[in-house]
Amino acid sequence: MSSLQNDVILAVDGLSVDIATQRGTLHAVRDISFEVKRGETLCLVGESGCGKSMTSLAIMDLLPKGATRRARRLAFAGEDLSRAGARRINALRGDRMAMIFQEPMTALNPAYTIGNQLVEAYRLHRKASEAEARERAVHLLGKVGIASAGERLGQYPHQLSGGLRQRVMIAMALMCGPDLLIADEPTTALDVTIQAQILRLLADLQRELGIAMVLITHDLGVVARIADRVAVMYAGQIVEEGPTAALFGNPRHPYTRGLIDCIPVPGRTQPGGKLGVIPGVVPSLVGDVRGCSFRDRCAFAREACAAAPPVHRAPDGQSWRCILENAA
Amino acid sequence: MIGYVLKRLGLALLVALAVSAIAFFLLRLSGDAATAIAGEGARQEDIELIRKTYGLDRPLVVQYVEWLWQTLRGDFGTSLYFKTPVSALVLDKLPTTIVLGLTSLGFALLVSIPLGVLAAVYANSWIDRLALAIAVVGQALPNFFFALILVMFFSITLRWLPVSGSDSWAHFVMPTIALGYYVAPAFMRLVRAGMIEVLSADYIRTARAKGLPARSVIFKHALRNALVPVVALTAVQLGFLLGGSVVVETIFALDGLGYLAYQSITYKDFPVMQVVVLLLSVLYVLLTLLADVANAWLDPRIRVA
Ligand SMILES: Nc1ncnc2c1ncn2[C@@H]1O[C@H](COP(=O)(O)OP(=O)(O)O)[C@@H](O)[C@H]1O
Ligand code: SF4
Ligand SMILES: [Mg+2]
Repeated sequence: MSSLQNDVILAVDGLSVDIATQRGTLHAVRDISFEVKRGETLCLVGESGCGKSMTSLAIMDLLPKGATRRARRLAFAGEDLSRAGARRINALRGDRMAMIFQEPMTALNPAYTIGNQLVEAYRLHRKASEAEARERAVHLLGKVGIASAGERLGQYPHQLSGGLRQRVMIAMALMCGPDLLIADEPTTALDVTIQAQILRLLADLQRELGIAMVLITHDLGVVARIADRVAVMYAGQIVEEGPTAALFGNPRHPYTRGLIDCIPVPGRTQPGGKLGVIPGVVPSLVGDVRGCSFRDRCAFAREACAAAPPVHRAPDGQSWRCILENAA
Repeated sequence: MIGYVLKRLGLALLVALAVSAIAFFLLRLSGDAATAIAGEGARQEDIELIRKTYGLDRPLVVQYVEWLWQTLRGDFGTSLYFKTPVSALVLDKLPTTIVLGLTSLGFALLVSIPLGVLAAVYANSWIDRLALAIAVVGQALPNFFFALILVMFFSITLRWLPVSGSDSWAHFVMPTIALGYYVAPAFMRLVRAGMIEVLSADYIRTARAKGLPARSVIFKHALRNALVPVVALTAVQLGFLLGGSVVVETIFALDGLGYLAYQSITYKDFPVMQVVVLLLSVLYVLLTLLADVANAWLDPRIRVA
């Protein structure tokens, strides 16, 4: 099994997330599997509500109340997190694996200074002194492009703009030099001009530090430029996954085609190209979902799509979940 | 920060002044000072003579200004009942009330913060319901009734604590519990509600993502934010404490300002009443100020305002 190879940092096998709602159990993530190798960037794309955030929170064991996860295996550096206790998870979180969230305005604690919040994880995991941790914080604030870092340490979150706060969040995630960084739409809440800067910063840091990254984004132009692999999610499932060039060059799943075709230049997307708008709505994820969940919106849908479609694999590593062997 | 404190201090003094004026007029309207001074069975001519001598026939406004002027100069008058200077009397009783206020506030916080945190962390569990039950009982029981239960249990059944007086720390135990338990439920509910809200905040998820253990997520990241409204409530509750101390001190004959207030009302001792009311309002206003300053310290966003 490839997940046992030690160059695989994250191996997700059969992950599901259920959320208890008033209308019944919502299957936010349905039996997904994927791998991320060391130093690799995997981009997770898909319309809003398809389960990207729940996937990343499930990996970090940060699901909100009411949401539960199940997995055959959730291996981080070969260790199955789905069987690890809270203590072990806490030892890995913030040290070997880190996360950046969508909302920089609320992700920092308003009651403590930037410096206080930056040094926390480093002091905890590295048993470092306050002085060492502050030195490391200043170094990283410089790395994420924050000028006069020393003074920033004493400031409170409300004194910083959204873009600066997200830079602080990035520095905070990098404090212990993690092996895996999960970034859930880190720029969606920011001004358009700042979005590109932050994404470029993340890509540069990922390459420079050799961190594996799971990046959730709506920006297909960014995906085309920085992803090694892409996983396309729809209604809680991964419907297509593969190396970036293959996936953009030859999208096999009708949904992936829809996303890419909606962008001005077919096949090759331009920076800033957003996810396409496909007519129709995502089906309800409450209760059982039978057959292909995309069939209400799919131009190729036929009788056979009412049964669960098979997963096809191409030699280049591309895989897709559809009755079509090769979308016309 | 200093400008903020000075601004609040000025406001505090104005409030205390207003309260003293209202109290002065209300007390004067509630009974005739000359009759009280003259004492039981005094003749009408004597009362009139006293009214003239003490200047009680002048307009109330003039009397208030004169009283205020004297008070500000440090002349608090003489008690009609105790026949001693009011200042000495008040200075003698003040420490007892301050100690009782602080111990009961401390007791209330000591009980309500851990209970509120537990109730929030284990919301809707049996722990939460137990904490709620404790709070409901505390709020439903009248102050004096709870005090009597304490006396029956600790003094009469167990014989551990003295029933009344104020000579040793043991005399403070039951008044502290009675008064503290009276204000604890409000604190507990606020801590619980605040913690439940804060625990679902994004920055708590950030703290957990760092691998911080539950105790520092709860006590460092959540509690401090949940305590901001608690500090504001402290000011309000201190007012209740001062009011409640009149009842509790009287029940336990704890010789503080509250007991003095009760005695001065019983004996129609106007000079004492006025000073006690003024002092209680100044205390209340100062405590409110203290709470505001603490609030500004806890929540850096308020500091700039
Ligand atoms: N706290 C919640 N309670 C109920 N349903 C939720 C909650 N959070 C997310 N969901 C549902 O779970 C599904 C997946 O959500 P999410 O992972 O946030 O999607 P994405 O990040 O891809 O936009 C959606 O259908 C959403 O409505
Ligand atoms: S399985 Fe059928 S409905 Fe689903 S994507 Fe393929 S062709 Fe379309
Ligand atoms: Mg999301």
